[in-house]
Amino acid sequence: MLRSAHLTRLFVAATLLALAVAAARAAPVRTEHVEAELVSERTALVPGQPLTVALRLAMQRGWHTYWRNPGDSGLPTTLAWKPPQGLSAGPIQWPVPQALPVGPLMNFGYEGEAFLLTEVTAASGLADSKLVTLTGRADWLVCKEICIPEGADLALTLPVASVSDADPRWAAPISSARGALPQALQGFAVSAVGVGQELVLTFTPRKEASDPGEAYFFPYKAGLIEPSAKQTLLRDGDAWKLTLAVANQRVGEFARVAGVITSSRGFAGQRAATLDVPLGGSIVAGTAPPAIATVPLALPADTSASSLGVALAFAFIGGALLNLMPCVFPVLSLKVLGFATHGGGRATMRLHGLAFAAGVIASFWLLAGALVALRAAGAQLGWGFQLQSPAVIAALAVLFFVMALNLSGVFDFGRLIPSSVATWDAKQPFLNDALSGVLAVVIASPCSAPFMGAALGYALAAPREVTFAVFTSLGLGMALPYLVLAFFPKWRARLPRPGPWMQRLRQLLAFPLYGTVLWLAWVLGAQLDNDAVLRLGVSLLLIALALWAWQSRSAGALRGWTVAALAGVAAAAAVVWPVVAASTPTAASPSTSIDSGGWQAYAPERLSTLVAQGRPVFIDFTAAWCVTCQVNKRLVLNSSETRDAFTRSNVALLRADWTRRDPAIGQALAALGRNGVPAYVLYRPGRKPLLLPEVLQQSTINDALATL
Amino acid sequence: MIFRSFAFALALGAAQAVVAATAGQSAPNFQLVDTQGKAVQLSDFKGRYVVLEWTNPQCPFVRNHYNTRNMQALQQRWGERDVVWLSIDSSNKSSGEYMKPSKLDLWMHSQGAAQKAVLVDDDSTTARLYQAKTTPHMFVIDPQGTIIYAGAIDDRPSTRPDDPPNARNYVQAALAQATDGKPVATSNSVPYGCSIKY
Repeated sequence: MLRSAHLTRLFVAATLLALAVAAARAAPVRTEHVEAELVSERTALVPGQPLTVALRLAMQRGWHTYWRNPGDSGLPTTLAWKPPQGLSAGPIQWPVPQALPVGPLMNFGYEGEAFLLTEVTAASGLADSKLVTLTGRADWLVCKEICIPEGADLALTLPVASVSDADPRWAAPISSARGALPQALQGFAVSAVGVGQELVLTFTPRKEASDPGEAYFFPYKAGLIEPSAKQTLLRDGDAWKLTLAVANQRVGEFARVAGVITSSRGFAGQRAATLDVPLGGSIVAGTAPPAIATVPLALPADTSASSLGVALAFAFIGGALLNLMPCVFPVLSLKVLGFATHGGGRATMRLHGLAFAAGVIASFWLLAGALVALRAAGAQLGWGFQLQSPAVIAALAVLFFVMALNLSGVFDFGRLIPSSVATWDAKQPFLNDALSGVLAVVIASPCSAPFMGAALGYALAAPREVTFAVFTSLGLGMALPYLVLAFFPKWRARLPRPGPWMQRLRQLLAFPLYGTVLWLAWVLGAQLDNDAVLRLGVSLLLIALALWAWQSRSAGALRGWTVAALAGVAAAAAVVWPVVAASTPTAASPSTSIDSGGWQAYAPERLSTLVAQGRPVFIDFTAAWCVTCQVNKRLVLNSSETRDAFTRSNVALLRADWTRRDPAIGQALAALGRNGVPAYVLYRPGRKPLLLPEVLQQSTINDALATL
Repeated sequence: MIFRSFAFALALGAAQAVVAATAGQSAPNFQLVDTQGKAVQLSDFKGRYVVLEWTNPQCPFVRNHYNTRNMQALQQRWGERDVVWLSIDSSNKSSGEYMKPSKLDLWMHSQGAAQKAVLVDDDSTTARLYQAKTTPHMFVIDPQGTIIYAGAIDDRPSTRPDDPPNARNYVQAALAQATDGKPVATSNSVPYGCSIKY
């Protein structure tokens, strides 16, 4: 009896299988690029039990179809069932997609073979031994270089039975596809915080977890996360943080982050998992503060006359203030000395003034030209960039030292330069004026006075003509005091009359220049090392010796002293050469002032991590060669009052040291609309970053922190 | 002190000038040559509404809107009302779908297209400037140069001929609302279609 029942079941099963093979195995539909069919995991529909069927798409090599969110372009595959009475079909259960880059865009989809699963349930009342045909319309877009919309009417006929067997052909691939479907992420607490254009997913393991490797997040909804943006997973303490970019053209409310997270080594073993978490931070409110650190320079859309006028005005004022900056003042002194000694008629004075102004403006044009050219070449540069090169620092140190020696009276230019040049020089005082104008600009560049940063930021991002206009305005501002002195004799009359005091003054003016040399030596030390400073020092010593020897020619054996002088210069050059050659300093640890007191070195990731934690962040963009920066640091940033204020407000402190070229810092400055240091910015949770003035006062810091 | 706060405001202004081409932002200017060889720049049309239509005759989504005469009808209707319609083909010269300007011109003629100009962006620069992703990808710019709509042409991402006439056309709606002095109800949508052949 038992045996007979078994036989009967076997017989029924065999019959059903035969039926299924005959009826269900309708040939797949072949379109131009895809082979499509409906396949079933089991050989029969059992009333009341769910059955997994799949839309199987086999794409031609190199062609792909799309996931539920197709990414930047494309269309999701659709499957519209026309289920017969007594049957219901669920939605498509999407397998984990692949990220498919197309040029700068990103698509999410499938290459090769894809099984899009659907659960079909037969009502429990459905009669046994009946054949049921499932029909559906599948539409898909298949793309390689080009896209072809394709579709097919598909059918799958199955018997209804009380038992079913695994389909010999499709049970294995369907069950493995089902096994690979992403399930809700286990073992991690996930949070999402968006700030500006960045969104950080934080995965905190509930217990010890191993490194997930590379991760990629596929969002369910389009228009929220930029599909083509790089996604980086970084370890942060016990947790991992995945940084995503908010869509450039964001559509709709962004209140939740939902999608599939994949990783090369798995989150606690899950290579692919779903997540759906609420989004915190400032994206929810709908405000989009300027992106931090990663924004490329973009052309400002607004170059209207009014904002241009304001920029020109500030450039002019900034240029005038440059005269009072520590590194320009020695030149101002020299120039004032020059006015006092030149004497001459009123017209001559005016010409002196105009020649100097021409020199200043010509240099600013040259700088603007270089800026435009370099910007076109995509170089990361900013105001003061010249001083990031040790060669330029060394050359300036030598130049200032020689000038200082001249002022001190160690030698005279009249004797140094061959008489023909010297007399030509003397006959061309206007050329002299123009050249000292050029010199003034060269040494002014590291000190971006107040307002300069904004004007430069504006000029750098503006069209070429505007850049030139702003630089012209800067030059005019800088030349202003000289022009005023040249054109208003009354004011000039307030200058002291020539006399023996001038020699003393000349000697006195040497000291600021020696001071400048010391400062340059310190900058060189910050850029390179102690050795470089010593080399520069020895070189300067040899130069002093050489100049002294040269001066002594008239007093002794002409030839001997000349040889000694030339040898001294050669030795000086040899000693300083390694410093000059080290124009691209090897990046060791930032050499200046990532000191204690809670300051950390700036890194874009560090900033975004801190911001994602919701902490306020203060960044000090600084450089050793920037005098204003050092003054601010000593007087304000390092004061105990400031330190206490920062601690009270729980502000994270980052220092971006631009003493040497660092593209990350250049980009961060550009994103803030600045191109020089100092720059001070306070990142406030959920609000626009607050840019502080370039000259800091205690009250500035207090006021800024009060806005937190 | 006053100067300092001015400088501060200016600096903030500069920081905000970093834009994405999305509704509410100023439309970045560009200059391109049309299929007739004439230079055209966006700023030529300041004071008028401008529609930018990213197009590619090889793309089935674009073809669907031309085959159904949906696109031409829009171009015609709004052209008569002084709206400047610019179609831009950003297929890179190196891509398989690049069409010579003369061929592109001929195709548009054969379709009875009625745009102001068909612009050739054969190095995709302008597409990058606008972060255009698909064909068609549509932008509507108001007379002040502000983008008032960015995204799909309508709410039916498909290539079915019966969809364009029955869809909710976002470009039509944006132009109608804006020229009526009303706010644009849908100013952003997810663009659909073929990828731009960068």
